[in-house]
Amino acid sequence: MKKTLLSFVMIVLALLVLLPVLWTLSTSLKPLNEVNKFPPEWFSPSMSLNPYSDMFFYLPFSTYTLNSLIVASSSTILTLLFGSLAAFAFSRFTFVGKRTFLLVFLLSQMLPGASVIIPLFQLLQKVGLYDTYGGLILVHTAVLLPFVIWLLYGFFQTIPRDIEDAALIDGCSRMTALRKIILPLALPGIGATALFSFLGSWNEFFFALILTSSDSTRTIPVGIGLFVGEYLDVWNQMAAAAILFSIPPLILFTLTRKTFIKGLVAGAGK
Amino acid sequence: MKKATPYLLLVPALLFTVFVLAYPLVQNLINSFSDVSMITGSSGWTGLSNYRHVFEDTLFWRSFANTSVYAVVGTALALVMGLGFALLLNLKLGKIDTIMGCLYTVPWVISPVVAGFAWKWLLNDNFGVVNYWLAHLGVAKVGTTWLGDPHTALVCVMLARIWQFYPFAMVMFLAGLQSIPQEEYEAAAVDGATMIKRFFYITLPNLKTVTSVLLVLGVIWSFNDFNMVFVMTRGGPMNSSMVLPVLVREFSFVQFDLGKGSALSVMIFALLTTLSFLYLKVISRGESI
Repeated sequence: MKKTLLSFVMIVLALLVLLPVLWTLSTSLKPLNEVNKFPPEWFSPSMSLNPYSDMFFYLPFSTYTLNSLIVASSSTILTLLFGSLAAFAFSRFTFVGKRTFLLVFLLSQMLPGASVIIPLFQLLQKVGLYDTYGGLILVHTAVLLPFVIWLLYGFFQTIPRDIEDAALIDGCSRMTALRKIILPLALPGIGATALFSFLGSWNEFFFALILTSSDSTRTIPVGIGLFVGEYLDVWNQMAAAAILFSIPPLILFTLTRKTFIKGLVAGAGK
Repeated sequence: MKKATPYLLLVPALLFTVFVLAYPLVQNLINSFSDVSMITGSSGWTGLSNYRHVFEDTLFWRSFANTSVYAVVGTALALVMGLGFALLLNLKLGKIDTIMGCLYTVPWVISPVVAGFAWKWLLNDNFGVVNYWLAHLGVAKVGTTWLGDPHTALVCVMLARIWQFYPFAMVMFLAGLQSIPQEEYEAAAVDGATMIKRFFYITLPNLKTVTSVLLVLGVIWSFNDFNMVFVMTRGGPMNSSMVLPVLVREFSFVQFDLGKGSALSVMIFALLTTLSFLYLKVISRGESI
């Protein structure tokens, strides 16, 4: 009896918490004349997927989606490449200044975007990377790297050194050991890190907003963020864009929930 | 050669850190002492005048107060909410825990821009569900512009921020709750301690480290938060919900006074560095959670 009551409370709470998302979902399926209707209704017989195709037609969301995909996947590849080299150095070598370097990476995660944005803006303009994929990819990579290094460092630490030592005795070089032994064993961890990195870039708004200025480089969050308030009359298409944009994060999170939360709890407490 | 290997491995990552951390920070400091306008270009050293302009701007003080409320009150409420949800999930009702755990985490997973959009639409004056329901309850009229009213705008944005941050607190609290030794509860039960007593004498003390980590992290992150305010109100109406990160953009890219913007961002940096060291202190004292 008590259990049923508590379960009921939990379900009601879930509905309350999901209210903004559910309302957006409902809006994204309605034709325009029913969006601007009073009293508001959750369901209507004329619901359809039309706003989802209209948004690609009326708003430049196909370009935004392409831009987001290019920027997020390039940043992911770069962070993984450079992040795993650095994490390998931290987990398998002892060297002067190791603690300092680790601390620098830990602290740079806390760096407020607002305190670097102006020089970055000036720098990118000077070298001709303002409002380009390249500029945004470089900045996203730099912003995501510290956390990626910390995550990978954690995963590399869990791989026993014995296997690697055996390979070294057999005449493997350090780099071959990284490529042939550590990377394959750390694959699940690397996968989770890749997803984190992708989402970090995919959802990033502040740098993407300020470092781009034309539709041909803007990412989806910038599109949504800028249009809110501008195109008030197409709430249904905006809602459709918001829902579509949220699907990759939701899927990726569901897939990696366990690994991600474990890493997070360990990382924040360390 | 062997000795150089770890450094060589670090070079690419360090280059990025220098490019996005060291160089901009130094350049920012230089900017803050110079007269840099986006229209007229740089015209040299001006000493502390940028800082004076920031301090003399009443908007700065208002934003500072807003940001502090937004960060401290918002984080505290999000922690209370997160703890409540964590306690509920920790009752171990069975399979429903996993499903609800996932659903409760959704606000944290979706992008801040989408969250801001969803709340803005929910609070819409004429067609939003919130006004419709409040009208039914007789609390407010349909047409109440929550985000357009200087008295309520900041509270609304904070509500959305709490909504987005509480799942992180929930996840961390849940991990903390699950690491409390069961024996402590069993012993207390034998001694006849009530549920409320057990909560205050066993649960809460055991969550002290998690709570302090969450509090510091939450304040740092919220202090830095640009997204929610920008998407929902852009700092308005009449700057009533202006916060410091949005103000940096306002000074630099709307008023085109990069010097003033830089001075403000140096101040934000100094404040957050202090908070970050506090965070390092908290986690090195707690060691494990």
